[in-house]
Amino acid sequence: MTDRLPSTDDALLAQRIRSGDRDALGELYDRYASVALATALRVVANREQAEDLVHDGFVAVWQKIDRFDPMRGSLRSWLLTVVRNRAIDRLRSARSSIAIEVADEQSLLRTSPNPTWEAAIAHRSAAQLRSALEALPAEQRQAIELAYFGGNTYREIAVLTNVPLGTANGRLRLGLAKLRDSLQETDAAPGASAQVAGSSGAER
Amino acid sequence: MTDRFDCQAFDELDAALVLGAVTPDEARAALDHLGTCDQPHESLRQLLGASEALAMSLDPVAPDRRLRDRVMATVERTAQEHRGAPPITRAPEAGPGRGWLGWLSPRIARPLALAAVAAVLAVGAWNLSLQAQIAQRDRALRAVAEAISGGEEAFRVDGSGGSGYVVETPGTGAALVIADPASLPSDKLYELWLLDAAGTPVAVGTFTPGGNALAVVRLERDLTGFATFAVTVEAERLDAPSNLDLVMSADLTGS
Repeated sequence: MTDRLPSTDDALLAQRIRSGDRDALGELYDRYASVALATALRVVANREQAEDLVHDGFVAVWQKIDRFDPMRGSLRSWLLTVVRNRAIDRLRSARSSIAIEVADEQSLLRTSPNPTWEAAIAHRSAAQLRSALEALPAEQRQAIELAYFGGNTYREIAVLTNVPLGTANGRLRLGLAKLRDSLQETDAAPGASAQVAGSSGAER
Repeated sequence: MTDRFDCQAFDELDAALVLGAVTPDEARAALDHLGTCDQPHESLRQLLGASEALAMSLDPVAPDRRLRDRVMATVERTAQEHRGAPPITRAPEAGPGRGWLGWLSPRIARPLALAAVAAVLAVGAWNLSLQAQIAQRDRALRAVAEAISGGEEAFRVDGSGGSGYVVETPGTGAALVIADPASLPSDKLYELWLLDAAGTPVAVGTFTPGGNALAVVRLERDLTGFATFAVTVEAERLDAPSNLDLVMSADLTGS
């Protein structure tokens, strides 16, 4: 469960990395390399390419650490965004991609992420988060996965799934909203983590 | 959808924005909107953090333990942006004034800059015979290579993808200096390799051709202990040297 350490630790690590402490970058690697690799591997489906992307992601964190703002999210979130965006770039190198600085959700609002997601990540295993995702209606889950892991825009998702633009976008909205609600409910309920996997039918 | 967003248009794309599932124009329009809008956009805020949860829903995959060494070796010789040095990129934009001299020591940066200017001018002045042009370009390239290496040996790189030099600077590392990268297909990613005497390959970086007359690509490893330098096209992996379709290569043994 080292992947789910509190973000305050991340903030300290970020401070040390900013001060030029290479050992801190090593600690960050030890903490999150396996999560970063899982993300890259899911996108590019090639182990060697995925490891190259993880390498590049950590080097980018080292180089650009001054752009990281702990008030807008965790260092882990930033790292995963960098690795994921690079993986998408690799996957679709012919397509003009969104610059990391633009795509980074940290830049979307000057506030921190919604606490529901942070709590879910802190208290749920990967399998439990996955169960919550799998509990979504198939077309919503598919749209979310095509977007996040496939690097498709909602316009492309509409074409790929043969639905109108509004439907593709609506599936993304509904899917994420349902996922958030599902995680919020299981957070609030006693024995929350055990309920996530069993909630599939109810969400539909 | 490149027009400016109003609040409603912005809110309709909140999930797509969070998942990075918008076009670059839409992303920019969204950021422009946020820069001028005083509304809280609560629906978007409710979704911030979703992408991290999606990533964290995957089972962790342990990397090869050599990857950590590779990351730390690169970090060891990589400057941080906020410490004054320009960023090092794996697909550098070449040409004086665009930051690619940043990783060199001041001792050699100045002569290199002068040599690079001369090289760019030389490459641009192709009004001679083809043979003379090639010789002129090679002299210019060699001048750059020697400036980088501070008088150390530069290894000639040749192949169907072009020509250049691999050089090594004591204390700074190795680099590929390549002429006219713009002539290479721009939609490809080129991968750089070092092979030892037994033919075992080690990946040492990538680059994408830019629109410049000259590119300097830093290698992630020193040349010590390696016999061959090679460049392959995107997704070409070295299972064995015998099945390698080289774009460019260099003999590092000096033989």
